[in-house]
Amino acid sequence: MNRYELTIILDTSLEDSDRSAVLDKVTALITAKGGEVEKVDTTWGKRRLAYAINYKTEGWYVLVTFQAPTDLPREIERQLRINENVLRYMTVRVLEKKSKVKPKPVPVRVAPAEAPKAEAVEAAAEAVAAEAEAAVEAAEPAAEAVEAAAEAIEAAVEAPAAE
Amino acid sequence: MSEAREERRPRPRNGRRPRRKVCSFCVDKIPYIDYKDVNRLRRFINERGKILPCRMTGNCAKHQRQLSEAIKRARIIALLPYTAE
Repeated sequence: MNRYELTIILDTSLEDSDRSAVLDKVTALITAKGGEVEKVDTTWGKRRLAYAINYKTEGWYVLVTFQAPTDLPREIERQLRINENVLRYMTVRVLEKKSKVKPKPVPVRVAPAEAPKAEAVEAAAEAVAAEAEAAVEAAEPAAEAVEAAAEAIEAAVEAPAAE
Repeated sequence: MSEAREERRPRPRNGRRPRRKVCSFCVDKIPYIDYKDVNRLRRFINERGKILPCRMTGNCAKHQRQLSEAIKRARIIALLPYTAE
């Protein structure tokens, strides 16, 4: 028995029932062959694909973690390859030694939702930097003015002395 | 790395020695580089989608190996691009 992590990308045009039908098939297969489904994670949901698969730019991501005998992933992949609603799949063996200390995977939402946040932070940082610069710039003329005043005073002091 | 080699390297014009980069995965104590952690992986590819060499990122060899594996997995499930313009 090994632990595996299976990522499936489903077609977004599918109905919810069709989607769960695919998942049910997978989980049924796992339990039927002596495996054990640990978790079916559908929190990723719809995501933009980094590149088009079958001319589709979006996919529905599902993550299945399960324990299974070593010959099961091959069978699952064979089934998924037949199903044309599955855009892409990948099975990865989770190493026990590492999984104990493994940080919880960050659920990745649709990318555009995150991008503005990062931009906002950057913009804020820029604004702060700009302010600081402005302050320095404002201070410079003031210093110059002080110097000029000092010179004027000196001149004024010298002028009577000359007379 | 030997002292002698450090000395032979020509000092940059501004007299500042380039800072030795440190592996960010060692710093953050990350034992396993997850292929699903796209935001982290994205920092180690260039705008064309190529994996940056460790001489640019400062990753240690151990983590560079794990990282390249993670990026390749992320590419398979379309979380990261193989190529991008």
